[in-house]
Amino acid sequence: MEGTKLKVDRLTAYYGDNPAIREISLDFPERRVTAIIGPSGCGKSTFIRCLNRMHETGAHTRVEGKVLLDGEDIYDDDPVRVRRRIGMVFQRPNPFVTMSIYDNVSVALRFNGRHPREYVDQVVIRSLQQAALWDEVSDRVDAPATSLSGGQQQRLCIARALAAGPEVLLMDEPCSALDPLATSKIEELIGQLKQDYTVVIVTHNMQQAARVADFTAFIYLGGLVEFGPTEQLFERPKERLTEQYITGRFG
Amino acid sequence: MNEEPPGGPKIRAGYDLEIRHLKNRAVEMGDWALQMFHDGWEAFEAGDLEAAQKVLDRGAQLDRYDEDMEHAAIAFLVLRQPTAIDLRTAAALLKITTHLDRIGRLGFDMARITSPETSGDKDDLTRVLERMDAVVESMVRQALDALATDQVSLARDLFRRDDEVDQLHREANRRIIDLMVKTPAAAPRLAMDLLVARHFERIADNACKVGEKTIYALTGQRRSEYLPRHPVVPYVLEAPRKDGRARK
Amino acid sequence: MKFDHHARRKLFSHAIAVVTGLCVIAVLYPLFSIIYTAVIKGGAVLFQAGFLTDVPPNACSIVACKTVGIGPDIEGTFILVGLAACIAIPVGVLAAIFATEYRTRGFGRAISFTADVLTGAPSIIMGAFIFGYFVLYDPTIVYSAITGALALSAIMIPIITRTAEEALRTVPEATREAALALGISKWKATLRITLITALPGVATGALLAVMRAAGEAAPLLFTALGSNLPFQGFNQPTAALPLLIYNFALSPYSNQEKVAWGATLFLLVAILIANVATRYMIHRLSRRYAGM
Repeated sequence: MEGTKLKVDRLTAYYGDNPAIREISLDFPERRVTAIIGPSGCGKSTFIRCLNRMHETGAHTRVEGKVLLDGEDIYDDDPVRVRRRIGMVFQRPNPFVTMSIYDNVSVALRFNGRHPREYVDQVVIRSLQQAALWDEVSDRVDAPATSLSGGQQQRLCIARALAAGPEVLLMDEPCSALDPLATSKIEELIGQLKQDYTVVIVTHNMQQAARVADFTAFIYLGGLVEFGPTEQLFERPKERLTEQYITGRFG
Repeated sequence: MNEEPPGGPKIRAGYDLEIRHLKNRAVEMGDWALQMFHDGWEAFEAGDLEAAQKVLDRGAQLDRYDEDMEHAAIAFLVLRQPTAIDLRTAAALLKITTHLDRIGRLGFDMARITSPETSGDKDDLTRVLERMDAVVESMVRQALDALATDQVSLARDLFRRDDEVDQLHREANRRIIDLMVKTPAAAPRLAMDLLVARHFERIADNACKVGEKTIYALTGQRRSEYLPRHPVVPYVLEAPRKDGRARK
Repeated sequence: MKFDHHARRKLFSHAIAVVTGLCVIAVLYPLFSIIYTAVIKGGAVLFQAGFLTDVPPNACSIVACKTVGIGPDIEGTFILVGLAACIAIPVGVLAAIFATEYRTRGFGRAISFTADVLTGAPSIIMGAFIFGYFVLYDPTIVYSAITGALALSAIMIPIITRTAEEALRTVPEATREAALALGISKWKATLRITLITALPGVATGALLAVMRAAGEAAPLLFTALGSNLPFQGFNQPTAALPLLIYNFALSPYSNQEKVAWGATLFLLVAILIANVATRYMIHRLSRRYAGM
């Protein structure tokens, strides 16, 4: 059995007095893709944002419980350091518009210490390769990031996140703003990323979860309903609620 | 099938209706196959060539049912991209179609080997065969009922009844072989009886498979999870006694 | 019947067009009339040798008039506005950053509200406030470049803060989140990414403030005070173009009046050029963010 990279222990997150997620406990296996599915507004995004301490950047927010990365609680550590180990890709591509492709990818390196130019170049190339974007931009890395198409921009954001050297990559509905071709490129890329990274992907598209994820967790109304290997969850779910959701019988 | 269908309850009800519709078509095909089986046996037993011909004429429709069902199930899979129970149901129906087709085909075959020559006194044998027919027809009906009414218990019961069919099959074989020894002239005709007995056994087996797939669709369980595996040994055909009398 | 409605509508439409046209003329007339008058009256003076460098003339009799020039005033305006900008731009931008980053808490809202109110305050009040403060605490430099710059910066800061705040608000939250999610500390993210992204807007605000300050006379009346000599030091009264215009426009002496017009024209042209040049640079900067 593979090891657990990220262990969530009775996590509860609040907006004001309102708990958006309640006492969720979950183990994310190392170097596997885990998908989080559930209806809109039921806490998926809130949950994943707690995993890299982004939830607390909002106003009037509070978190209880633990999130253990390799056994150590990230809530006891410096949030900036945590976010370098746990990266995130957002729903809409958000490259820095004032910067070129090269500058976007290298931003984490440049802002956090001085590195020789050759080293930065290497990291940029490697990250762009890992994000399956290098072939398309190798001749114009100094072009503005905004000159790329939507799908390319999202891959740029993935490269940017990878260049920071994380161990875990969180993806919050990364394909929902993209067309099917761009989506399938990114899904393919996720399949390759799991060789080196532990991936957690929130998606409202169940076929996507079925395509890319090894494990799937179903979250409903702020609570974890079921977690298991994807194939088992989709062919023969254990919980009635899970079956109702994935067959579209909610209401 | 990504998120909540925008149409709301109306769309979902249509979806459930679609699944029900698929199942009903399978049951309809099953009824057709059962009818072919029943009529095929009756034709064979009576040596009625006209009745047999009627059964043979129904073969084309059986093929059509088979194709239509396959097409409908695949369309459902591709357009609705179902999961869980719906997925299992569609996959199960594809296999159930094949088993129902076999049942119809075996009835077809009984009609095909119908011949007007009677084969003399074979009262005991006829009783056994008629008993087999009754049990097996009832099993097919039960399998179709389980499918139509989503009842796991009905489907489970089929496996118990299959044991009876196996016993009857052995007995039929024994009697036929004894008769062959006793009245060699009737051997060609009795050989057909052997086939028919085998057909009964096959139909029962297919009915059980239908039940098995129905259980899988409804619960996700596979056969090994609810049936103990009994050891299978070769079926040894006993050598006939020289004096032609039946062995106990 | 239809014809009637149609004709009435057309008539009404034309009437509105005429009225609108008259309003446009009414608005533009003062602007063009100023420019026209300035050109007529100050044009000749502007191109005389030494006008831009020599010292302003004293009141003189019709008989003998000495040098005509606005050199010290140009120098003074640059120094005062420059110094004011050095104070106002960092303070204003930082205040804007605080206001946007702490938007939901009282502190940020207070800054925003205050800046809003102060942009409407009469500029002479700033001058009076600085004057009063220094009279009480350090009378030796009441009339100096320092106080003048302070008064001007008091006017500039609310403008800069308000426009910079607007510009910072247009930076999408997604940009800030992306920076934070990369493990970049909040202040680095704000200064090196958010602020840079908002730079065109912030620069426009700074430009507006500078132009406003360059043209203000009231706050300098009792701070910089004005002078006819070239720059003497930061603790000394300093000349400025608006002050010169104010003083000489009221003068009965025609030579001084001419100088006033020349200075007016100069100021108008200078501001126009500064405006165009800065807008062009901002435009070039924004073009790099194509497709935003």
